[in-house]
Amino acid sequence: METYLKRNNKKWIPLAFLLIHSVAILIFTRGFLLTRTELPFHSTCSDASLSPCLSNSDHNHNQKQPKCWTKPVVDRVVIIVLDALRIDFLAPSAFFPEAKPWMDKLTVLQNLAFGNESSAKIFKAFADPPTTSLQRLKGLTTGGLPTFVDVGNSFGAPAIVEDNFINQLVLNGKRLVMMGDDTWTQLFPNQFHKSYPFPSFNVKDLDTVDNGCIEHLFPTLYKDDWDVLIAHFLGVDHAGHIFGVDSMPMINKLEQYNKVLEKVVDILESQAGPGGLHENTMVIVMGDHGQTLNGDHGGGTAEEVETTMFAMSTKRHTPSVPPEFDTSSCKQDPDGKKICISSIEQLDFAATLSALLGISFPFGSIGHVNPELYALSSSSLNLDNIELGNSGTQPAVNEWMKNYVNVLCVNAWQVKRYIDVYSNSSVVGFSSDDMSRISNLYSAAEHHWSNSIKHTLMDNDGNEDSTNTSALKAQIAAYLSFFSSVAELARSKWTEFNLTLMITGFVMLVISLILQSLAIFHGDKPFAVDSGLSTSAAFSLFIVLIRACSFLSNSYILEEGKVANFLLATTGLIKLRYSLMSKTMRKEAFIFLAMVSVLRVSIDIGLTKQAATSQFMSSSPTWMLGLAPDHPALTYASEIAPIVSVAVLICVLYRGIAKTHSEGIWKYVTVGSMLNYFLIALLWASESKIFVLDGFLQVIGGRNIIPQTVYAIGLLQLFLLASAHMFCAGKDKNWVIRAVALVSACSSPVILLSGKQGSMLALAYLLAGYCIMRLEGVERSTKSDGQNKFSKLDPLCVVQWSLLSVCMFFASGHWCAFDGLRYGAAFVGFDEFVLIRQAILLTIETFGFSIILSVFGLPLLIPIISQTPQAHGEKRHMLFQMYMLYGVISATTVTATILCVTIHRRHLMVWGLFAPKFVFDVVGLILTDVLICLASVYYL
Amino acid sequence: MNEARKKKKKKLDTSSTGVSNHRSISTLGALSVYLITGLFLAVGFWVARNKFSVDLVSDPSLTLFLLWSIEFPVVVIMYSFFRKAPEKCSCFRAYGRSILGLICGAFLNALGAISLGAPIGMQYLPKTVHWSFLMSVFTCVPATAVFGASWTDWHRVFASMKPSGNVEYMIFIPAYGTIIGGWFGAWPMPLDWERPWQEWPICVCYGAIGGYIVGQIVSLCAMFFFRKDKHLKVA
Repeated sequence: METYLKRNNKKWIPLAFLLIHSVAILIFTRGFLLTRTELPFHSTCSDASLSPCLSNSDHNHNQKQPKCWTKPVVDRVVIIVLDALRIDFLAPSAFFPEAKPWMDKLTVLQNLAFGNESSAKIFKAFADPPTTSLQRLKGLTTGGLPTFVDVGNSFGAPAIVEDNFINQLVLNGKRLVMMGDDTWTQLFPNQFHKSYPFPSFNVKDLDTVDNGCIEHLFPTLYKDDWDVLIAHFLGVDHAGHIFGVDSMPMINKLEQYNKVLEKVVDILESQAGPGGLHENTMVIVMGDHGQTLNGDHGGGTAEEVETTMFAMSTKRHTPSVPPEFDTSSCKQDPDGKKICISSIEQLDFAATLSALLGISFPFGSIGHVNPELYALSSSSLNLDNIELGNSGTQPAVNEWMKNYVNVLCVNAWQVKRYIDVYSNSSVVGFSSDDMSRISNLYSAAEHHWSNSIKHTLMDNDGNEDSTNTSALKAQIAAYLSFFSSVAELARSKWTEFNLTLMITGFVMLVISLILQSLAIFHGDKPFAVDSGLSTSAAFSLFIVLIRACSFLSNSYILEEGKVANFLLATTGLIKLRYSLMSKTMRKEAFIFLAMVSVLRVSIDIGLTKQAATSQFMSSSPTWMLGLAPDHPALTYASEIAPIVSVAVLICVLYRGIAKTHSEGIWKYVTVGSMLNYFLIALLWASESKIFVLDGFLQVIGGRNIIPQTVYAIGLLQLFLLASAHMFCAGKDKNWVIRAVALVSACSSPVILLSGKQGSMLALAYLLAGYCIMRLEGVERSTKSDGQNKFSKLDPLCVVQWSLLSVCMFFASGHWCAFDGLRYGAAFVGFDEFVLIRQAILLTIETFGFSIILSVFGLPLLIPIISQTPQAHGEKRHMLFQMYMLYGVISATTVTATILCVTIHRRHLMVWGLFAPKFVFDVVGLILTDVLICLASVYYL
Repeated sequence: MNEARKKKKKKLDTSSTGVSNHRSISTLGALSVYLITGLFLAVGFWVARNKFSVDLVSDPSLTLFLLWSIEFPVVVIMYSFFRKAPEKCSCFRAYGRSILGLICGAFLNALGAISLGAPIGMQYLPKTVHWSFLMSVFTCVPATAVFGASWTDWHRVFASMKPSGNVEYMIFIPAYGTIIGGWFGAWPMPLDWERPWQEWPICVCYGAIGGYIVGQIVSLCAMFFFRKDKHLKVA
């Protein structure tokens, strides 16, 4: 009875840890992985009639061009994006505590902004984190707050599917020209009328993109075949990354930009006369984000989010904004002149530009039309009513406010519509409290609008009394408060991590880690305690901890495969030392090191694949030994080797079942695996060119038959094993044969999905695992305590096994990023896409070697020494310990990753590197826990 | 780790006596030996810098070559003086086997480095070769000069770590120090600091040399504190 209880206990413990881990990770994820659902809806011009606002045709009868939501106030827009433009690059040094060498270099813009006779202004622009170019461009054009997981985003292709400013321009028949950073063409593959993209990933190249931009920018400015021009310069960003802000290349870059901008302004002004090409053009020079003094960006510190914007209208007038809505801060410049810069949120960029160009606002935009930017070119609004010289006076201000309040009305209606639709359609919408607060603000503003302001505007009688003015101001203020509370809500939902949840999750994981470590010693006999501090245990702890610490740096995460391999080789060398000391198993130790070397070459090859796609890795194909990749001998070898490896695997299995005199179902399952291997070899042989088996696939009916048969046999095997376990439980005490049956049953789909490298890797894995098993306890045998030789757990061999499985993950060509998934594997054996089935196949392919086989194969590490029943009980206990230890090692890694993303949550690479790593680790941990549960049910 | 591998190379068990009948050395003598080796290491760096105007960062292969080719004769001459059974084994024989030991040790060091992840490829080959020669000078050459191919001595000193006499402390502690130092020296390599010294094998060399020096200091301390123990063993 007691043994039964104990046995049952052991089955429940892994389940308990699975639950604790799942809850901890769920809590952490709620706080860390901010998600936002992308809505597929688009705004159209006709939508505006649904709003309570004045449609433009009512308001202004004598218009020339067809219009959409608002009346267009500028004809053309030139947007010059200077990547990573800090606020102090453009704003005068008077605004900062001390003048630095990189300040006051863009003098041409400063002179324009602070000159008397121009409608130009410098803004301090606030970006929202993550401050990486891609996310910022997405945020600027959609008017939203992109998060790491924008649900609906197709992984791999970064093209924006949400409604956005660029898309609206195209829908409204505007022609776009783009030059510079090729991120734009990735985000908007088809929208540009003309594009001159230049590669952006080479950070060390300061000039290619800029020179390309300059080359195309000036001729394009003279042309009339575009309405919106986007030029994206990257030099400042790259100079920052390489040299830092305080450096000569940076200053040279800024001086170069100053010349370029001077020329741009000259060209525009030369064409700005009545009837000219740029009669009513707006120039915007802006940064997409800031940078720190070291040139980093991505996080949310003040230096990174504070960027700048310069806007100028070629139509000269004095902007008229009522002082209530003026956000500018002013300083005295050295000459004693008053200079002011305003501020703007990047969130508002899409809405403001849409209003300026008179197109419908992007559906998902939550920004509002910025009064000061809008005012820069509003003089053209009512030229028929007010003569130019009058602008800036009270009637002009009033007229501007009337127009602006109508724009805000449409804007507020659009934002409210988005919030409502989002809240209804998203799984994780806003809370009802927040929604009701926002609805109240909106309905108050709208009520006021419908009852009074609308009539005032409709009358349009031109008498400007003071009550009218103050009512308008109150209306604008009501709208602005609505907008600010929407933005605040959206920020809290989409850009702010919930640190409490994150820390709770982390603490839970740490507690579970401690519990699990204690569980290793669960029911242990006293002698195990004194072995707890043996050299082997201490060394295992050292290796696990050093690996965990390595996750605190992005560089080590990037080269995680190499780090794991380095540690694995270190353990191999230690084992070699012990084996030489005890003069046993020397051959195994050398084979193990050889296998580690094989794996490391494979990891190197995997890294070069990663370098081809990753934005952080510089390509280093160092492993190439001067052999051309398409050398005939090489292709021949690469066709033959996998098939030979499969043949070797079949032989190994055959020897395995021939040696052990097992009976019954386990044997048949293993034979089934041999059949599977044979089928795989047949499939590869028929696909390759050197065997003349071309017709073979047609004969059996298509190339999908064999993979499907393999899957079917695999499922049948698992079913047989499960039923055998249920019906003949306890009969067969020899679990080696059971483990062989289970592992071989799982391995055939894994090998098939991994492609041709799969069989070779499986062979290397098998060999290395065999060596680990043989070397298990080699250091103990020197101490000649033979009596409890096999009942003590050797932690080092479990650590080795775990490191080996990590190496296998990287050696099989994976890495922790979504572009590292091999989507092709999901379609081995199937042509059509069924989400669940393909997801299962992809999971098997991704974690097959590193988790599925390694968890199920763990019992094989227990050396076969004694078959007496009394030894069996001890071995079962040892197996339980091994599973617990394996679980602890995996959980330690994940805990370290979680600690790392908590610390680095505002790091430059948090979305590019840490978050994918986190997702992979977490999925891996849960899968490991589930499989440990299954395995302990099966084996214990 | 790789001291263990040396045993693979030769199976000539010429002297399996196990009795230490080689010349002994005092702690002070060991210190002077260390100072001389350190001096010539410094000379190596000086020659590289002033005569060839290269350093480890600008031309690792040449610098490493200079370092090991200057250090090697010094180490061989110094340690051959303490060779086992000097009456049976002439000085020149000790030199000869040291050269053999240098090559074998370099080979094993290179294999170890590659299994730990040293870059492979033609452009790295000279660097790896010279690096492993330098490592061999630190780890393997003193032992070959003293023990020759005596498997039991190697095993006793390196694997079982039961040295008898100051000379054996002088052999195995700096050797371990070199390897552990090199191991730690590899850690900065993947970091993205973009410093030129992060390239293979520069920081590993620094680590190894640092470890060698630390090993020398530790061995001096060991000699100093375990003096009585030593006397017991010799007696």
